[in-house]
Amino acid sequence: MKKKIGVYICHCGGNISDYVDVEKVKKSIEDEGGVYLAKTTMFACSDSNQKDMVDDIKGNELNGIVVASCSPKLHLTTFRNVSERADLNKYNYVHANIREQDSWAHSDDKNGATEKAILLVKAAIAKARLAEPLIPNKIQAQKAVAVIGGGIAGMKAAIALSDKDCPVYLIEKAPFVGGRVAQWGNMFTSNQTGEELITKLYHELIKRKNITLFTGAEVTHNAGSIGDFRLKVSVQPRYFTGTCEEKQLQQAIDACPVEVLDEFNFNLTKRKAIYRNAASEYPQTATIDMENCTRCGKCEAICDKIDLSQKEEILDLHVGSVLMATGFDPYTPAEGEYGYNEVDNVLTLPQFVRMLELSDKKLIRNGKEIKNIAYIYCVGSRQEEDGNTYCSRYCCTSAIHTSVEVKKKFPGVYNYHFNRGIRTYGKQELLYAESLQLGDIYLQGDEESLPEVSGESGKTMVKVKDILSAGRLIEVEADLVVLVTGMVPRADNSVGSMFKLPKGRDKFFNEIHMKLRPVETFIDGVTIAGACQGPKNIMESVNSALAAATKSYSYVSKGELETEPIVAEVDAELCSWCDACTAACPFDAISMTNESSKAIALINNSVCKGCGMCLPVCPTDALNLIAYSNNEIESMIDALAAG
Amino acid sequence: MNGPSNQLNFDALVVGGGIAGGEAALNLASTGYKVLLVEKELSIGGKMIMLSKVFPTLDCAACITTPKVSEISRHPNITIFTSSEISSINKIAENNFEATVVRQPRYVVIEDCTACQLCEQACPVSVPDQYQYNLVGRKAAFIPFSIASPKAAAIDIENCVLCGACEKVCPTNCIDFTQEVETFQVNAKTVILATGFKLFDPLMIPRYGFGLYKNVITSMQMERELAPTRPFNTVLRPGDGKVPDKIAYVLCTGSRDATIGNPICSQICCMYSIKQAQLLMGALPMADVTIYYINIRSFGKGFDEFYQQAKGMGVNFVKGKIGKISEQGNGNLTLRYEDINEGIVKEADHDMVILSVGVLPNQDASDFFGQDELQLDPYNFIHQTDVLASPALTSIKGVFVAGTASGPMDIPDSILSAGSASSEAISYLIQE
Ligand SMILES: Cc1cc2nc3c(=O)[nH]c(=O)nc-3n(C[C@H](O)[C@H](O)[C@H](O)COP(=O)(O)OP(=O)(O)OC[C@H]3O[C@@H](n4cnc5c(N)ncnc54)[C@H](O)[C@@H]3O)c2cc1C
Ligand SMILES: Cc1cc2nc3c(=O)[nH]c(=O)nc-3n(C[C@H](O)[C@H](O)[C@H](O)COP(=O)(O)OP(=O)(O)OC[C@H]3O[C@@H](n4cnc5c(N)ncnc54)[C@H](O)[C@@H]3O)c2cc1C
Ligand code: SF4
Repeated sequence: MKKKIGVYICHCGGNISDYVDVEKVKKSIEDEGGVYLAKTTMFACSDSNQKDMVDDIKGNELNGIVVASCSPKLHLTTFRNVSERADLNKYNYVHANIREQDSWAHSDDKNGATEKAILLVKAAIAKARLAEPLIPNKIQAQKAVAVIGGGIAGMKAAIALSDKDCPVYLIEKAPFVGGRVAQWGNMFTSNQTGEELITKLYHELIKRKNITLFTGAEVTHNAGSIGDFRLKVSVQPRYFTGTCEEKQLQQAIDACPVEVLDEFNFNLTKRKAIYRNAASEYPQTATIDMENCTRCGKCEAICDKIDLSQKEEILDLHVGSVLMATGFDPYTPAEGEYGYNEVDNVLTLPQFVRMLELSDKKLIRNGKEIKNIAYIYCVGSRQEEDGNTYCSRYCCTSAIHTSVEVKKKFPGVYNYHFNRGIRTYGKQELLYAESLQLGDIYLQGDEESLPEVSGESGKTMVKVKDILSAGRLIEVEADLVVLVTGMVPRADNSVGSMFKLPKGRDKFFNEIHMKLRPVETFIDGVTIAGACQGPKNIMESVNSALAAATKSYSYVSKGELETEPIVAEVDAELCSWCDACTAACPFDAISMTNESSKAIALINNSVCKGCGMCLPVCPTDALNLIAYSNNEIESMIDALAAG
Repeated sequence: MNGPSNQLNFDALVVGGGIAGGEAALNLASTGYKVLLVEKELSIGGKMIMLSKVFPTLDCAACITTPKVSEISRHPNITIFTSSEISSINKIAENNFEATVVRQPRYVVIEDCTACQLCEQACPVSVPDQYQYNLVGRKAAFIPFSIASPKAAAIDIENCVLCGACEKVCPTNCIDFTQEVETFQVNAKTVILATGFKLFDPLMIPRYGFGLYKNVITSMQMERELAPTRPFNTVLRPGDGKVPDKIAYVLCTGSRDATIGNPICSQICCMYSIKQAQLLMGALPMADVTIYYINIRSFGKGFDEFYQQAKGMGVNFVKGKIGKISEQGNGNLTLRYEDINEGIVKEADHDMVILSVGVLPNQDASDFFGQDELQLDPYNFIHQTDVLASPALTSIKGVFVAGTASGPMDIPDSILSAGSASSEAISYLIQE
């Protein structure tokens, strides 16, 4: 059938037309083969233009359209929907990116940008001439979601999904749920304690029959894709068959010969290899840390509920969507960074928060009562180019909140805040005002003059050129230095790599688009929530968790899902199964199959992302990418080269 | 006109058609629930649809808003009432809210209007254009703005002189002066409040001279000057149409200031000012841009990098509190400020000053409810009763809050908050 193509060239309100002469582009392509009409428009994506397009397509029986505008990342779906509303197969619409790839890139060369736009549009027209209507693949979506990470974000997401009558598997790596929040005492901005919050949520969790909670559990393998993820989960045993009597448990703990640093208290204290949960950690039972246990059997001999022979279990889960909520790590300062690990009264903020929880009547470090506390802000955040350039957003508020808590609990303490401009945004500003009211002292450095910590003859001094007092060098003798450390991505990214989740330049998991698709990732069916996407406080983590739960639910609630028909296909005649393509495929979409007793490659349509990586490695040219056939690509190259 | 057709039933009532309300409505609608979206203005889109580009990605606001807006307006499960307000909402029982919605007449049949603008040309009345934040005028018969949704004319009856000129030129006869106020009884099972925020009115700080000195404008007016659908073709000072070349930003205008009753930080002004400064450097390469600040709060994903980028482009950042602004004979302005770094009072001349006005609560929603009290927080935003564990919950069960109605936030946070509110609403619809 002869093609009747409509071409729409967008001004993007000046974003394009300030640099590209869109009228000239229109004139230059009007006579291209197949072009039936060509128009320019102020905003191609606007409601009124969409209406015009639908009318054009229907009124003129167009069977192909080209939109030349911004990146298809933004509006591919918008224009596919336009096509569908006009009863045109959406794969007969071809996109030309003349903004990111042209007007923005060549804002210094208007003629060149215009020429380039003409070629890009001609190439798109060439492709539209050959484009075939395609039918999306349909898959059955398993109505269940796996939530990975049982911190505040994961717990809230699980509850929200459960309340939508969607079965949930909540998979927590640690022996207890609660994540970081379980480690905090009084919290901003509600003055609840971490324990109160986690206790409440844990009871909400276990009340719900359609939530299956696994602790000590990790996803070790993933096969499959949106609608149909097949996960292998390894669940570590607790090594208890029941609850030991309290006295016996204590004896068993006392008997354990292995002592290790207690991560819950950020290494401020030690614990045994067999240990109790903290009051804020659920489920409330003791456990054994097998990484450090020597299997000496001493505890087993004391309490018969202890069973060191328990084995890990491997489970198979089948879910339609995966919601990632693996959280963050606090930044660990480098050796000697502001005296860390060199001067012995230097702690991080998370350590200090635990120290406060562990201190009762007096605040004591190394036998000395603490009077002066220096807080050094932005440690591990807002660093130079190749470090962590981002602001960790929670820490100004957290440091100030902690300093106010200290002052309430130990009124004799003086707080000195060595900051880089306080960022208590929104209502958190009130905490800053409260701290000023309490007489806290704020000293401000900047990137050129950061504070320095020195420890000599038993004295710890912190000094800074204070820009708030005309750059005077101010020195404070501190009994304790608190490094206000930022948030960094989890050190262990194995689960992220397993799902091939892209990361942003801050190395946290990246969303597709901050405003349009803030909880979705490029891996269809995998959503992200909480601090694994970037620094967040609790309220922000929960908001993103609920938004992600709604999104994951939308994947699985309807039973059936459409997936892209743009996938690789194998020519059985030509394929000789050399296996080169499996190595090239970044998504493990290719496997071997036997067809009439010949080994050939098989593409898993719901896993293949149509990236085309396999095509060039095939020695016999047996692979074809639907909608990007050699024919189509060559015709596009011809159009580009003809210029 | 109040026949039985004025009795309507929906699963959810969403009040406010800004980005938060729109996103919440879409989430509910695509899960299969029927939604009524009530918007006070002539168009949905809220403040966002009026913006130029948005930080920190510098996407053009229209490019992101318009497709969302058109998805909302086309969704089969969403009914939109513009020019409409809630007069009351009563909770009868769980999952049973009765609302009275009042729709003001537009005097134009939306479905028939083609937005040809002939009525605009014919109308003899000119008044300040509220959608261009009074930078320019508009007619009494007018299309609200070029990317409005619905894109249809409206008659501003308060200023209309009833000359009938528009009716005569309208090619589709869509102008209808017989339209009346309509009242609807709406039953809904859940309510989402997304009534957004108000901008601080700088007339409250007379020493800045807003309203008196023509070249002192607000940040929202500057958004309009920078937007693709801008009123002028370039950035101008309103006083004399001169292209400015020494521009100043005054941060924290109406924020972090207990003396005007707003002690909290507005959370967005640092970033939008830095954004505007970057756009100004692009639009007017010769211009100097200075930002007077107390602290720069570039805290979100990619924000601090955006701030560093502005510094790299040559935007001048001065840590200083503005005491007073005064006007010179040529319309230029003198800023008297305390230079915090040097601890002395200084003066600087600029030819245009932008006041980075803060976010204030919109208290409309507190009047909606009869028997049940909708609690406000100490700053008069809607109170979040369980701010850490369930940020969208309000003091009334089944009523949820989305976006800036609960406190200052930027667009990405408003969208996540809307996701949160819609999740709570869906759970409530299923569980109750
Ligand atoms: C010192 C300090 C004080 C703070 N105080 C406050 C405060 O007062 N108020 C406030 O609002 N915010 C506060 N915060 C921020 C708050 O801690 C975070 O917002 C919150 O912890 C984020 O929750 P999350 O669930 O995203 O991540 P996390 O709390 O990090 O939880 C993630 C969970 O995922 C698990 N996990 C990780 N990897 C895997 C895997 N591969 N498989 C399975 N499970 C995995 C982890 O074990 C953990 O349980 C504070 C932060 C710090 C550092
Ligand atoms: C100058 C300026 C620049 C900005 N730039 C950026 C930026 O670059 N990036 C960014 O992320 N954010 C930016 N923001 C912030 C952004 O505007 C807000 O985050 C966003 O608009 C909040 O959306 P919302 O839906 O909560 O509120 P709003 O946009 O205020 O929407 C509320 C809606 O509810 C309607 N409404 C109010 N009361 C009623 C009622 N009683 N009945 C019915 N309807 C009602 C209103 O008419 C409005 O349509 C900027 C803000 C300003 C002021
Ligand atoms: S929140 Fe404050 S302390 Fe944390 S990185 Fe940002 S500016 Fe520094």
